[in-house]
Amino acid sequence: MRRCILKPLVLRLGLAIIFFFALDAAAFRTGHYASILEPNSTAGFLQSFLWTERHRALDGPNQVLATGDSRIPLRARIANAAGTGYTFATIAVPGTTPRCWYYMLRDVDPDRKRYAAIVLSANRYDDREYEDPTDRDLDIRYLTPILRLGDLFEFGWSFPTWNNRGYAVGSILLKGTAYRRDFQDYLVNHKWRQKLVQFENREGGQARYNAQWGTDSLAGMSVDWKTRTVDLPAWMTDPGRRQNTADLLLRDAPPLTSEFAAYRRRWLGKIVARYRGTRTKLIFVRLARGPVVRPNLPLDEGGTLREYAAHGEVMLLDEHLFDELERPELFGDALHMNGAGGEIFSRKLASELRRVLGPPQGAR
Amino acid sequence: MLFHTTQFFVFLLVVLAAFYGAPRTWRRVILLAASYYFYMSWNAKFVLLLLVLTAIDYTAARWIARTSEGPRKRVLLVISLAANLGFLGFFKYYNFLAANTALALGMPANAFALAIILPMGISFHTFQSMSYVIDVYRGQQAPVINVVDYALYIAFFPQLVAGPIVRAHDFFADLWNWRAPCCEEQLRGVLLVVFGLLKKLVIADPFARLADAYFQNPAASPGWFAAWSGAVAFSIQIYFDFSGYTDMAIGLAQLFGFHFPENFRRPYLARSITEFWRRWHISLSTWLRDYLYISLGGNRRGRARTYANLMATMLLGGLWHGASWNFVIWGGLHGALLATERAFGVRERREWRWTDPLRVILTFALVTVGWVFFRAATFSASLDVLARMFGGPAGKWLWPRWQVWFVALIAALALAEERWDWFARVVRAPAWAYAAVMAVFLFCLETIGFSDRAVPFVYFQF
Repeated sequence: MRRCILKPLVLRLGLAIIFFFALDAAAFRTGHYASILEPNSTAGFLQSFLWTERHRALDGPNQVLATGDSRIPLRARIANAAGTGYTFATIAVPGTTPRCWYYMLRDVDPDRKRYAAIVLSANRYDDREYEDPTDRDLDIRYLTPILRLGDLFEFGWSFPTWNNRGYAVGSILLKGTAYRRDFQDYLVNHKWRQKLVQFENREGGQARYNAQWGTDSLAGMSVDWKTRTVDLPAWMTDPGRRQNTADLLLRDAPPLTSEFAAYRRRWLGKIVARYRGTRTKLIFVRLARGPVVRPNLPLDEGGTLREYAAHGEVMLLDEHLFDELERPELFGDALHMNGAGGEIFSRKLASELRRVLGPPQGAR
Repeated sequence: MLFHTTQFFVFLLVVLAAFYGAPRTWRRVILLAASYYFYMSWNAKFVLLLLVLTAIDYTAARWIARTSEGPRKRVLLVISLAANLGFLGFFKYYNFLAANTALALGMPANAFALAIILPMGISFHTFQSMSYVIDVYRGQQAPVINVVDYALYIAFFPQLVAGPIVRAHDFFADLWNWRAPCCEEQLRGVLLVVFGLLKKLVIADPFARLADAYFQNPAASPGWFAAWSGAVAFSIQIYFDFSGYTDMAIGLAQLFGFHFPENFRRPYLARSITEFWRRWHISLSTWLRDYLYISLGGNRRGRARTYANLMATMLLGGLWHGASWNFVIWGGLHGALLATERAFGVRERREWRWTDPLRVILTFALVTVGWVFFRAATFSASLDVLARMFGGPAGKWLWPRWQVWFVALIAALALAEERWDWFARVVRAPAWAYAAVMAVFLFCLETIGFSDRAVPFVYFQF
C-alpha cells in the first residue's frame, strides 16, 4: 500500500477510534452505568458502599469515616450510640487495600471538607505485612467505576506485572471492557437488575448499618506453640475451615519487605498529601491481631506510619489499645472479630477518638 | 491461530508489514511462508500433507497439460483426484466407514477405529486443488509453472481453513496482475474484517450458547416453542459464524490485493430452497454444480435423471460436511426439496411479490429443520428435537428479550442491505460516516463480543 493512498484509511480509522472512545465514554463514563452495576458483583459491591456514603445526609461537621478491609470491626451504629458527639460511618470493604482506599476517599469526599476525621486500619504500624498487595488485580475490579483518565499512568503503572498494567490501563481507557460481563448480564436481566439496584439503594445502606454480626466464637480454643498444634472448638466442623484457621494462627511473623513499605508510602502518602492542610484528621488504628497472638512476634517499631506521625501528618492511636480484645471469644475466625468483639471495639474506638479529637465542633 | 484471537491480529500486522515492506518479487514467498506458519501453528506435522498434495496436483496438472487427449490424460486426472480423495477419505471418512462396516458385521462400532486427527481445512483445500486439476484437464486453465504460485493458491492463509473455495483462474488473475489495493478496497477490507469479527463474536457466539444449551438437553426445555427457539438459535449461529469467517477471509485477502468471491448473500431472505443455495456457501454450491452436478449430466438427460443428479449432488455435498449419517440426511433433505421445487417449476426471480414474506418464512423454517440434523449429535437426537418441534405443549421461547430485539435489528439490516446495499455505501461514505459505523462495530465487540467461553468457528471442523 503506497503511503499516499493510506491517508483515507488512516483518517477513517483515527476518527473511528475517537468515536469509539466517545461512545464508550457516553455509555460508561457518565456515572449512570456505575449506578446500575450488579450490586453483588465486585465493582457493584464497592459502589453500593460508596453510593450509601455519598447520599448519607450529614447532621453536622463532626463526621468520622472509617475505611479499611474486612478486618476493621467498626459498627457505625454502636459507635454512634456511644454518644461522643461524632457521627460515625464506614466504607470499609472486604479485600480492599490502601490503593483502593485512596480512590474511595476521593470519590466520597471530592472537596476534602466532609469529614472531621478519617480512620484507617492497619494490621501493624511498622511495614510488615503478610500479603503483598502490590499486584492485586482485585483492586482493578473494585475501582473501575471510579477511576478517571487522569489515573491512567499513576494507577496503571502501580502494578508490577505487565499483565495487570494492561488490565488496569484497559479498564480505565475503555470501561466497556471492564463492564463486559456485567453489561451482558444487564442485557439479559435488565428488569431484575433495575429492581435490585433500586432495592439496594433504598435499603442496602440501612441494612448494613443495622446488620447483626456473626455470633461464631473461638472461645475454648488453644494453641500449643511448641508442637504447633491448634485445638479449635467443636462447632467448627468443616475440615477446610479448621485447616485454614489453624494455618492462619500458626503462620510465621509477617515479613518486612521493601516492596510493601514502598507501596504503603505511595498510597497512604497520597491520602496524607490529599488531606494536608485540611480540617480532616487522619487517624490510624492498629487492629486486634487475632484470637491469640503468637509469641516472639517482632517488635512493632518504626515504619512509614510512624514517620508520618512524627511529622504531625497523621495520628496513631495507642498500638496496644485493642490488645485486651485479642481473646478467642471475641473472634469468629483467625482474622475477624465476631459481633461481641465488634461491639466492644466500636465503643472503645468511639471513646478514644472523642478523646484524641477533643469535643465535637459546636458542642458546649 | 484462530481469526478471532489477539495472536492472529499480531500475526496479520507482521505479515502486512513484511509483505508491503518487501520488494515485489519477494511478496508471494512471504505470503507462502506466512501461510505455512499459520497452518503449522495449528499442527506442524500436517504441513507435510499440504506439501505432498501440492506437489502431486502441481505435477499432475503440468503432465495433463502436456498430454494429448486420450486415456493417458484421463489416467493422470484420475491419479490426481484419487490422491486428493484418498487423503480426504482416509482422514475424514475412514472411521465413519469402519464403524458402519463393523456394525454391519455385528462387531462393536470401534472395532476397526483409528485415532485420526482431521487435518485443518482439508475439505476446502482438496476441493480447491481438484478444481484446478479438472480445469487444466478441461483446458479451461493453463498449468501454473511457478510452484510457489501454485503452493500459495492452495495454502493462502485467509482461505486455507474454511474457504471460500477460490477458483484458480480468479486467484491467478489477481496474483499475476497484482496491484496494491486502492483506497476503496482497503476501506472495504478493513470494514469486512471488523464486520466479520462482529458477526462471529457479537451475533453467532451468544446464539451458540443458546443452541448448545438446548441441544445438549432438549428435555430440560419442553415444548415446541422452546424447540424452535433452540433450532432457530442454531440457524442464526451457523450463518453468522460461517459468514463472519468468510467476511474476514474476503477482507483479509483484499488487504493483500486479492479478490475472493462472495460466499453468502443473505441466505435467510431466500424465497425457495433453490434460491437459498444460490445465496448460501456460494463457492461450495457452484463448485458442486460445476464439478459434480454438471459432470453427472446436470439437467440435460431428462427429468428423472435431473432429480437423481440433484439428489446425488446434495447427498455428496452433505457428506462433504462431515462423516456422519446426519450430514447425509441433511444433504438428502435439501436434495429432495430442490428436486420438488424443480418439479413444481419454482424459479428464482428478482422482483418481490406480496406473498414473498410468507415464502421467506417457509423457506427459513425448512432450512431450520435441516439444521437440526446438522447440529444434533446423533440421528436419534435429531428425531427427538424434530418431534419436539412438531408436537407437545407450547413451552417458552428460550431467548432473552435483548436477543429477540437484536435479531429484529439484524433482519432490518439484512433487508436494508438487500434493498440499498448499505455496506458498499458505508465504504464510499464520507470519512465521518465510515468512522461512525466502525465505532459502533467496535463498541458492540467491546461490550458483547467476548465472553468467558470461546466458541470455535463451526466450519473449522469440516
